Amino acid sequence: MTKDIQPDPSMPDPSMIGGVPQAPLVFLPDPVRVFDTRAKRFAFLAETSRLGPYLSFLAALTELQARLAAEDPAPGGPSAEQIARAKAAKMPPLDRAALADDPALIRLLDRFCDEAAKLEMPEPARLALKAVIAADEGDRRWLLTNVLSDTIPEDSAAPHLFASAAVQVHLARLAATLNAKDLQPIRTGLCPCCGGRPTSSLVTGTPGIENVRYASCMSCATLWNEVRIHCLACGTNKGISYRSAETTEATVKAECCQECHSWVKIFYQVKNPSLDAVADDVGSIGLDMMMKETDLKRAGFNPYLAGY
Amino acid sequence: MNIDLSRRGFMKLAGAGVATTSLGAMGFHEAEAAEAAHVRDFKLATTTETRNICTYCSVACGIILYSKGDLAAGEKAELLHIEGDADHPTNRGTLCPKGAALKSYVRAETRLTRPRYRAPGADKFQDISWDEALDKIARAVKDDRDANLIERNAEGVPVNRLTTTGFLAASATTNETAWATWKVVRSLGIVGFDNQARV
Repeated sequence: MTKDIQPDPSMPDPSMIGGVPQAPLVFLPDPVRVFDTRAKRFAFLAETSRLGPYLSFLAALTELQARLAAEDPAPGGPSAEQIARAKAAKMPPLDRAALADDPALIRLLDRFCDEAAKLEMPEPARLALKAVIAADEGDRRWLLTNVLSDTIPEDSAAPHLFASAAVQVHLARLAATLNAKDLQPIRTGLCPCCGGRPTSSLVTGTPGIENVRYASCMSCATLWNEVRIHCLACGTNKGISYRSAETTEATVKAECCQECHSWVKIFYQVKNPSLDAVADDVGSIGLDMMMKETDLKRAGFNPYLAGY
Repeated sequence: MNIDLSRRGFMKLAGAGVATTSLGAMGFHEAEAAEAAHVRDFKLATTTETRNICTYCSVACGIILYSKGDLAAGEKAELLHIEGDADHPTNRGTLCPKGAALKSYVRAETRLTRPRYRAPGADKFQDISWDEALDKIARAVKDDRDANLIERNAEGVPVNRLTTTGFLAASATTNETAWATWKVVRSLGIVGFDNQARV
């Protein structure tokens, strides 16, 4: 009779040898979980940050995103035909430009703004929110088109912030309907689901694929694999350096490109798994303030940080 | 900044029209000013992450070297950390114990950084120039080959083997370097030989 061999936890696990997995191209979002985790992270950061009031407001806004993602009827994803066409043309399957006229998104924006009106916020924010609620079709289309093309006009950041928060919910839910095997890399720095720009990138600590970098889409919350030490704005791997506040041991750095003179934030989740691509982007605004003094411009897209 | 004229009414309602940050536009100026005051005296530290190939063996694993200081900006770089390159198809971020200890090897005080020579009977090494070192190596290889080259085996078949000299070449090389190394070493008849071209 053979005796069962009990694994000894103090010894290395031999089954791990040779079993290093290939990092997947994308992690599609689970919208409720993404916004829920992000809201908690905003709230946590608000406790100690000098930016507390803004982070608390964003925590409440993100909580609302999670609630709507859970409660609102889910939008139908792109048709099989559209997915096949996008695949053949090496394009992202979600057509963001067409969404500005999507009645489901417009309904969601209405609902989002109505619910957001119940949150506490400073007077200028409330004024902007009221304007979005009262906006006519043309103005609303203008807001949505800007947000859907990753542009925030620098003189009207506040109304766009609300529009963007609603768009994020809609796009994350659309991305969640996709199948990872239908997706392919489009180009460095472009989301394979919706073609959106990343807000930042994360060096993951996920077991098995530690130290692999994932860019985080601001619009649809998809995480997609990007080779490390490449500029997410222009794709070059030449002259990349990393800047951080005071110490080289920082868990958030600015990935700087001397070719296109831009920078994108990179978070080392491998050192701190709690880091969130969006919440910590706002939480680490100090780095943006320092980088603003350099000759490089921010390339990470975040409507909560317009003007940096 | 060009504002579409038809947007005027909306912009007025939204309290917009002046270029500012999200925080300013949303009414969080104070928080923003407090953070700006906090970071005012901070300085930016620069790290460089550099891809390379582990030099230990011909498997040629990808590595990332982290160093402090920006070489591109004329600063001196100081090696901080070395890890397996997670994007590299050969090793996907893993390293063997030798590769994992690379940093100690690079930073070792006893690391050989120039040619040195210990004369017969001497108790210490002395620095010599590259020219002297290469001349000595060439002389030693030539003398050994003249004395020990096996031209024919027991059956009288020409084999031209040199079994008394070995050659170990680096792994972080191009295909062309590996090819040239192979040609030079094999043309001497050396059989105890390893370089990248083995794998």
